[in-house]
Amino acid sequence: MSKVTVEHEVQAAPPRLPGRGPRVLLSPWFRLVWTIPLFFGIGAGIVSLVRWLEGWHPIWQGSVQTTVALVTIPFGFLVGIGAFDYWLAYAIGQPTRPEDHSSHGARSWRDYLRVNTDHKVIGIQYIAANIFFLIAGGLLAMLFRAELAEPGMQYVSTQTFNGLVSVHAALMIFLVIVPVFAGIGNYVIPLMIGAPDMAFPRLNALSFWLLPVAGIMMLASFLVPGGAFATGWTSYAPLASHQPLGQVFFNMGVQWAGASSIMTALNFLVTIITMRAPGMTFWRMPLLVWANFTTSTLVVLATPFIAGSQFFVMFDRIMHTNFFEPDAGGYVLGYQHIFWFYSHPAVYIMMLPGFGIISEVISTFARKPIFGYRLMALSLVAILVLGFSVWAHHMFVAGMAPWLRVPMMVTSLLIAVPTGIKIFSWLATLWEGRIRFTTPMLFALGFIANFLIGGLSGVYLGSVPIDIHVSDTYFVVAHIHYVLFGGSLLTVFAGLYYWFPKMTGRMYNERLGKIHFWITIVAMNLTFFPMHWLGLQGMPRRVADYQDRFADLNLAISISSFVLGASIVLFLYNIITSWARGPKADGNPWRARSIEWQVSSPPPIFNFDEIPQVVGGPYEYGVEGARHAVFSGNGAVRLEDAEKARR
Amino acid sequence: MEAHVEAHAHAAHPPVANVSSRIDPRVLGMFLFIASETMLFGAFFTAYFFVRVVNGYPWPPKGDHLPVLVAGVNTAILVTSSFTMHWALQSIKRGHRAGLQAGLVLTLLMGLTFLLTQILEYARVGFAPHDNAFGTIFYGLTGLHGAHVFVGLTLLLFATIRAFRGHFSPQHHHGVEIPGIYWHFVDVMWIVVYTTVYLI
Amino acid sequence: MRRRSFVQLAVLAVLVAAATTAIALLIPWLPESAGKERDRIDLVFWLATGIAIAIFAIVVSAIVFAVVKFRARPDDDSDGPPIHGQTTLEIVWTAVPTVLVTAIAVLSAIVLHDNASAGRDPLRVRVTAVQFAWSFTYLNGPAKNVTIPVLRLPLGRPVKLQIESKDVIHSFWVPELGQKQDAVPGRPQTLVITPTKPGTFPVVCTELCGLGHALMRSQAIVMRPGAFDAWAKSAGQGGATS
Ligand code: HEA
Ligand code: HEA
Ligand code: CUA
Ligand SMILES: [Cu+2]
Repeated sequence: MSKVTVEHEVQAAPPRLPGRGPRVLLSPWFRLVWTIPLFFGIGAGIVSLVRWLEGWHPIWQGSVQTTVALVTIPFGFLVGIGAFDYWLAYAIGQPTRPEDHSSHGARSWRDYLRVNTDHKVIGIQYIAANIFFLIAGGLLAMLFRAELAEPGMQYVSTQTFNGLVSVHAALMIFLVIVPVFAGIGNYVIPLMIGAPDMAFPRLNALSFWLLPVAGIMMLASFLVPGGAFATGWTSYAPLASHQPLGQVFFNMGVQWAGASSIMTALNFLVTIITMRAPGMTFWRMPLLVWANFTTSTLVVLATPFIAGSQFFVMFDRIMHTNFFEPDAGGYVLGYQHIFWFYSHPAVYIMMLPGFGIISEVISTFARKPIFGYRLMALSLVAILVLGFSVWAHHMFVAGMAPWLRVPMMVTSLLIAVPTGIKIFSWLATLWEGRIRFTTPMLFALGFIANFLIGGLSGVYLGSVPIDIHVSDTYFVVAHIHYVLFGGSLLTVFAGLYYWFPKMTGRMYNERLGKIHFWITIVAMNLTFFPMHWLGLQGMPRRVADYQDRFADLNLAISISSFVLGASIVLFLYNIITSWARGPKADGNPWRARSIEWQVSSPPPIFNFDEIPQVVGGPYEYGVEGARHAVFSGNGAVRLEDAEKARR
Repeated sequence: MEAHVEAHAHAAHPPVANVSSRIDPRVLGMFLFIASETMLFGAFFTAYFFVRVVNGYPWPPKGDHLPVLVAGVNTAILVTSSFTMHWALQSIKRGHRAGLQAGLVLTLLMGLTFLLTQILEYARVGFAPHDNAFGTIFYGLTGLHGAHVFVGLTLLLFATIRAFRGHFSPQHHHGVEIPGIYWHFVDVMWIVVYTTVYLI
Repeated sequence: MRRRSFVQLAVLAVLVAAATTAIALLIPWLPESAGKERDRIDLVFWLATGIAIAIFAIVVSAIVFAVVKFRARPDDDSDGPPIHGQTTLEIVWTAVPTVLVTAIAVLSAIVLHDNASAGRDPLRVRVTAVQFAWSFTYLNGPAKNVTIPVLRLPLGRPVKLQIESKDVIHSFWVPELGQKQDAVPGRPQTLVITPTKPGTFPVVCTELCGLGHALMRSQAIVMRPGAFDAWAKSAGQGGATS
């Protein structure tokens, strides 16, 4: 078994790049000056050559070359920043030498801006990027909410409006919620299972750097002729195959984001399976680890389907293939089946890690063991399995085979059962606890109530007759935001506040955190609850204009959505100022049991001086003498010492 | 940020990770990647299923012919290359460097032959991806597979370069084993594609 | 002590349920119903709402109760009792939701089945969607072969719509009639509606179909049978064009 470590300590020497030019042109980032043109040049050259050989005119066609750019420039970028250095050296057969860990860890802020292999640095890189895209996606929502404040058209054209909505959703889903859980997991999971890093640190770095590529690609679509992609985040064929150029930015952006999430998920799975500390059996893993494990399985198995669906649309668009062209034998509804076979599991990809976070937060602040730990873990697995069997509930009115409706309805509704188990178990965990109302705990409680509303509206949608009435209306928009904002995003806030001291070594401002919580909850409900009514009454989704009778309510919604937007400023102010000059946090400010809290805040560069020994479950609050993990004693932080120091 | 300086006082090397599973991380990683790749093929086969089974589109439509024989020969070549790949791995496990090198080169050559034949077939087959749904699916599936052959060959090329530069030993040969697993996957996938697209 | 807690919790839950019920009943959530199918849909809607209110009341009152009752004093460093689970309870909250969702599923399946049957002699109308307009062609009855941009329907007679699209996917919906169906290019779809109230209702396209999607609206005009026949007669002779 020593093989593993040997390879870890030996790496290929960095490539000796040829050329006599100034050295700065070879160093990461500066290299971009020539790697991007190089890769684009090669791609464009090949395509032009083929076009010339085939006699297609014009040989240089803008829209085709844009597609080429979206495929090649990311590679140029990744090579340029140095994400591939190691593998290139390996590929050309450079001799291996001992790993000097030079690309690991953050010693100054500059280390966050380069290819870094430390899971903690990558976690923070992820979170920072995701917050950036949350603001970007949120600002787009503010823009289209302004348009929706009155009936009729005021500020933007309908195509631009559709573009705003589409980019809003695409960013929120592919660049905020899906990856932010990978970011939080990146930081926390290796510490939680007692591993020094992820299994494949370089792959981990690569996964992160694909994200800004995907996000900027989606935002950049506003700049091309014809405007941003405007077919919703679902981008149904055949509409999407006949749209202006911006559509390709979605097709390719999703590919890069998808590749990133597959690689991270694979990394999580291997890490969790092969690198757990001694004694950390599956039944002793914290529920966040379980949640990541199930989520990652979903990602690895489902994401290729959205990749497929976007390839098909792209081919139909630029190569005039017939995947979804009914006149030439294509199957129109095929797009939706393939898309939802990913995108339904994707909604659980966006929820299960949140469930994990909530379990950590609730048991810590109720100071009680998680009620029904095993059933909690198993219900995650049940959602994973059921999640693959419900995709067609997005297609109840799509005209698919009628016999599929009832089975899909039954499986969709059954997901209420494992989800309910989780909700009730959290409530039972609270029962007779010693509850402390810190900001993360408030967000956790707010999450339960708001996600419940979203889940219940999901049950309405799951029932075919009701869905026939409300499908593609604002009722669905309300559902989306109750589960994604009231669900996922609130868990993200809970997690970020909870691990903030661990990540930064400083405490956030509790008062500001609570104000942020209350404004968010109130404004969120004022914004999204009335949408149920709009939908039931007859307002379809994705419309820039609507009947006058919906005017008052839409104005109210727009106003409270601006308040909701403003609340994010409080959050930003809190985390930025607290990181800079908040009071120092000690290793375990919450007196939690899981391993990440048993090391200093922030953790040492290599996490542990020695791997801890796991001796019990992660949530044994109130059990006399119970321990989750112990260090043998010559290591840095001993649990007993930490415990003593606290008193 | 000073906190990081404080952290620096700790060890300069990571502790050795505990090994909590008997499977090698890299091999596991490759298997998971293959699972994901299989699902990508699954998406393409779903499109195939919709066009051919649900829509009942003629396969092939009147006037088009599938070069079953050429592709059959090609199949044989690819299957053989799996054996040479296996031979290369067994050789280095026993310390025969020459066998490793020969096995890899043979595999590489056969893979290239497969790819070139495929390209020639495209040029001669007489229908194009934009003609109809049949052409679309044909090129979609074979093209997806061709892309995988290309990736497999690239990985094998790395292994070959290192093999000739004297890397790998009976104890350390993951750099051969892992591309090998991928290559076998590409091979098996072709058999599925060949059966569904050409034979039935 | 425990017993008292549960009684208090139950009282709280009843209060929350009462408040939620009031919100559900006092606000007119559903638009007026003008179709038989909509009436059946509403039935499922109210069943789901009843269940949702019950679940919501239980969960929210439990949260509120916990927040009030189990709040730790600032100087209290102790842990809660180490309760790891309770099998009976876990079985209950697995079984009860299963039963409830099964009830919704069964009623839904029945309604779905009923809402798809158009009787023996429905009026048949072809609905054609293009970017960004609707047109309606009568396939039988007195207005046979007439094509108009609004949908005129006789009161009380089941109508079988044959929904088609010429370009991309659209979706046909009349909120007051409740039924909705995507128009898929190359695959005609059917939809059954039975108007029960005369009046003019909006026809909206609910599937994003391009830049004109928001404005792709029309009207469904439900007329008394006599009026419909009169209109049909003049339309059949090339008189009325809408
Ligand atoms: C985090 C993301 C998330 C989550 C968790 C869910 C959860 C669920 N969703 Fe949702 N859904 C979305 C994100 C999500 N959804 C999005 C983004 C869309 C729109 C896509 C688009 O753009 O078109 C959508 C759309 C959508 C539709 C399609 C609507 C349409 O377009 O016509 C349907 C239909 O069945 C549906 C159903 C459900 C169901 C049954 C659940 C269930 O999992 C909910 C289960 C939870 C509960 C029920 C609450 C807790 C349970 C209890 C307390 C137990 C007791 C309960 C009962 C007895 C009822 N969702
Ligand atoms: C996680 C997912 C997520 C989140 C968080 C949000 C957040 C918001 N969403 Fe979004 N939304 C979706 C996912 C999400 N949405 C999806 C999937 C769709 C479906 C799209 C489709 O049909 O394809 C959708 C669609 C959608 C619609 C329907 C559009 C339509 O159908 O026409 C509406 C309408 O009001 C809306 C509104 C909002 C609002 C007001 C917010 C607010 O919460 C936003 C709050 C604002 C911010 C978070 C940041 C604001 C920033 C600032 C104020 C500046 C601060 C500046 C500095 C510090 C420099 N969303
Ligand atoms: Cu037609 Cu929307
Ligand atoms: Cu779904």
